[in-house]
Amino acid sequence: MTARKSLLKVILLGDGGVGKSSIMNRYVTNKFDAHLFHTIGVEFLNKTLEVDGSQVTLQIWDTAGQERFRSLRTPFYRGSDCCLLTFSVDDNQSFLNLSNWKKEFIYYADVKEPENFPFVVLGNKVDVTERQVSAEEARMWCQENGDYPYFETSAKDATNVAVAFEEAVHRALAADDKADHLIPTDTVKLHRKPRSATACCS
Amino acid sequence: MAELLKVIFEHEGIFLHPSPDEGGPEQDLLVSGTLRVLEKDAEILVEYRPLEDSVDPSNMLCAGQDSSSVVEWAQCPGEKSQSRQQLETQQSYETEWDMVNAISFRKKNCTNGEGSLNHSQERSRWAFSVNISDLKSITVKDEGWTFLILKLKDAFSSLPALHFHQGGSKDFLDCLRRFALLTECPEDKTCLMVSTPNRALSQSFENLLDDNNFGLVHKFKRDPYVATLGSFSKVTNYIYDALRGAEEQQQRPPEEVADLLGEVIPGLEINQQEEPGFEVITRIDLGARPRVSRAEPLSADDWSKHQDPEGRMKDEATLRQKIFKGGLCHAVRKEAWKFLLGYYPWSSTLEERKSVLKAKTDEYFRMKLQWKSISEEQERRNSRLRDYRSLIEKDVNRTDRTNRFYEGLNNPGLTLLHDILMTYCMYDFDLGYVQGMSDLLSPILYVMENEVDAFWCFVSFMDQMHQNFEEQMQGMKTQLIQLSTLLRLLDLAFWNYLESQESGYLYFCFRWLLIRFKRELSFQDVLRLWEVMWTGLPCQNFHLLICCAILDSEKQKIMEENYGFNEILKHINELAMKLDVEEILQKAEGICLQIHSCKDLPHSISSILGFDAKRQVPNQAGLGGAPRPAPQQDACSNGHCRESRPQNSCRGVSTS
Repeated sequence: MTARKSLLKVILLGDGGVGKSSIMNRYVTNKFDAHLFHTIGVEFLNKTLEVDGSQVTLQIWDTAGQERFRSLRTPFYRGSDCCLLTFSVDDNQSFLNLSNWKKEFIYYADVKEPENFPFVVLGNKVDVTERQVSAEEARMWCQENGDYPYFETSAKDATNVAVAFEEAVHRALAADDKADHLIPTDTVKLHRKPRSATACCS
Repeated sequence: MAELLKVIFEHEGIFLHPSPDEGGPEQDLLVSGTLRVLEKDAEILVEYRPLEDSVDPSNMLCAGQDSSSVVEWAQCPGEKSQSRQQLETQQSYETEWDMVNAISFRKKNCTNGEGSLNHSQERSRWAFSVNISDLKSITVKDEGWTFLILKLKDAFSSLPALHFHQGGSKDFLDCLRRFALLTECPEDKTCLMVSTPNRALSQSFENLLDDNNFGLVHKFKRDPYVATLGSFSKVTNYIYDALRGAEEQQQRPPEEVADLLGEVIPGLEINQQEEPGFEVITRIDLGARPRVSRAEPLSADDWSKHQDPEGRMKDEATLRQKIFKGGLCHAVRKEAWKFLLGYYPWSSTLEERKSVLKAKTDEYFRMKLQWKSISEEQERRNSRLRDYRSLIEKDVNRTDRTNRFYEGLNNPGLTLLHDILMTYCMYDFDLGYVQGMSDLLSPILYVMENEVDAFWCFVSFMDQMHQNFEEQMQGMKTQLIQLSTLLRLLDLAFWNYLESQESGYLYFCFRWLLIRFKRELSFQDVLRLWEVMWTGLPCQNFHLLICCAILDSEKQKIMEENYGFNEILKHINELAMKLDVEEILQKAEGICLQIHSCKDLPHSISSILGFDAKRQVPNQAGLGGAPRPAPQQDACSNGHCRESRPQNSCRGVSTS
């Protein structure tokens, strides 16, 4: 009955230009392209990894960060197992907007218990020397907002990127296990079938 | 405001059992009331009203059993207070993040009447009214009596359980089955999933019986084959949905995404009916698709041959036709694009163009000075300008950086891109800068190699693309709907497949349409594609046929591999840079000729492609036969001056 999920949907959210696509590409293809286009619309990549001896497909969704595209972005929040709230340590505004992104996600993702939903916070671009957000500030925010794990990442030099995604996977699976033990009677239980890996893996 | 309501089902003695914390001061409260299923404006509503509420004269002027009675629908205070908490949450979002209420509360019929704060409010807070299409599931439970738990698609609102102490739950469910498909959830036998994809069908059958709506019947008599086939294609979908049941459960997230996208892009589900009389587009025999050939790009020689001694361009129609057929040699682009984009009139002399240029140069620098002269202090108080600037700076660094014109640090191309986009913000501050615009400017600047010319050509291009970037993205919605209409005519089987994969609204074409294939083709191919499209030939909205051409090439793969919602999106995204522009243009022109030669073309199609105005479209060889679209018609190609039918008219028309 408590079969573990084999497909996890993870979504990257944050202001335009904080490096969401670069983080995704670093993790999935282990490449960094300083001149990557900004994202238009919605994209996703798959990555298969092994967790406790079983295969898990991570489906990483990447969206356009501009306000204008909200109505076409938010439908894709549904069904997410984990949300990576991303800001750039050299852009204070992107840090201040984290709580808006969190709210937007909770609002549109149909999260049943927001306080138990696994968020992971990424402060990207730590390779940049001119920081506007200190690690202490960021950790403080994470602590105050639900004790979220915080990672200082650099898509450019690969710092902490894989670690952050692995944490996301563990949090998502833990939340799933927890939910399995507390099935409210009127809840429809959902199992997700793994999608055919050949069809959607890049 | 009085509306005509039809009561389809009514049952008294339905109880709510509010939990103590919900009930507030009134513990152990039992609320008794009436449950109704109503038809209002062709929408099916499930409405619950507590007893006091239903006799409150301020709520209803005359609520009768008689199905033809007019019920005052002035206000529903209960609904208002019930959702007060949610509204508050929402409002706090609006102030902080300027949320658009895109998802929930879209079909609330409640108008805020005065005097809602009366003594009945405490009780009337339990009243609710929901559209049947907003229902996600109904769980049937038994505790000696039956009670139903209604779940909404919008998970933020929940409804109280309905307790049928005096029976009637079966009748209620049977009534709902007339308007929605209730399928047992395989995980939980007590749970019925509600889906309403067949609403158009069930209602068109109802319409058959309804004298007031003889549209379909009329069509049926005139052309039974076409009318039935149209309905059958709906039946197919309906049966398909019904059979899918279990499978669907496991793919719930994409399906929900699709549902929500469907709300963002309204009007797609029954897009084939766009006017009273129930026009059914169906498998019309399109005939063979003619093979067309492309030509060589127009040479500099050929271009100058079309210029008279004063510099006027002669025989514009021929020029357009040649450009359509083969594009332009790169050397000609800098000049020819100014004509194609309407910056220079074709009939202007060199002298006239000089004075145009002078005036436009002055105007450009005046606007450029406006943002250049804003002090840091001022900008600190101008958050919109600040936001535009910040996003432009970020995006300029992420636009075509591998192109020689924009590569490296401190490339002057980057500064120009930045300055023109900033100046465009001053030209159109309401729109400002929206992501995607740097993609539209970059090729123009690359060709013009001149700030002022690039700016004004960009302005012309933006005139065509403006609606794509507006707050409500109406241009995008219009185009997606039009594309769906075209695809349905061209390839019903594929369209049905996409529908079955929740992809019928063609969201995966979003990037294609937003920036006219800029990211899908190599830089040089984008130049070719755009100049061909700017000729306005061979029909209005040719870019939609380009979409159809690409999809036509991909459909086999998509269907054979049985791609679902996510895979389709991924597959289409990954086509980028793998497409051949000449092949696409050839196919798209063939499709245009194929559709054009079709007799009895549905009005919806001919109006999208502009075949109504001029029943004269290029034959393949015919140079000069093509009409010259006025510059304004280009704007039409984006839905600009389409007669804008009301958002939900499709729905209304098919059912009223």
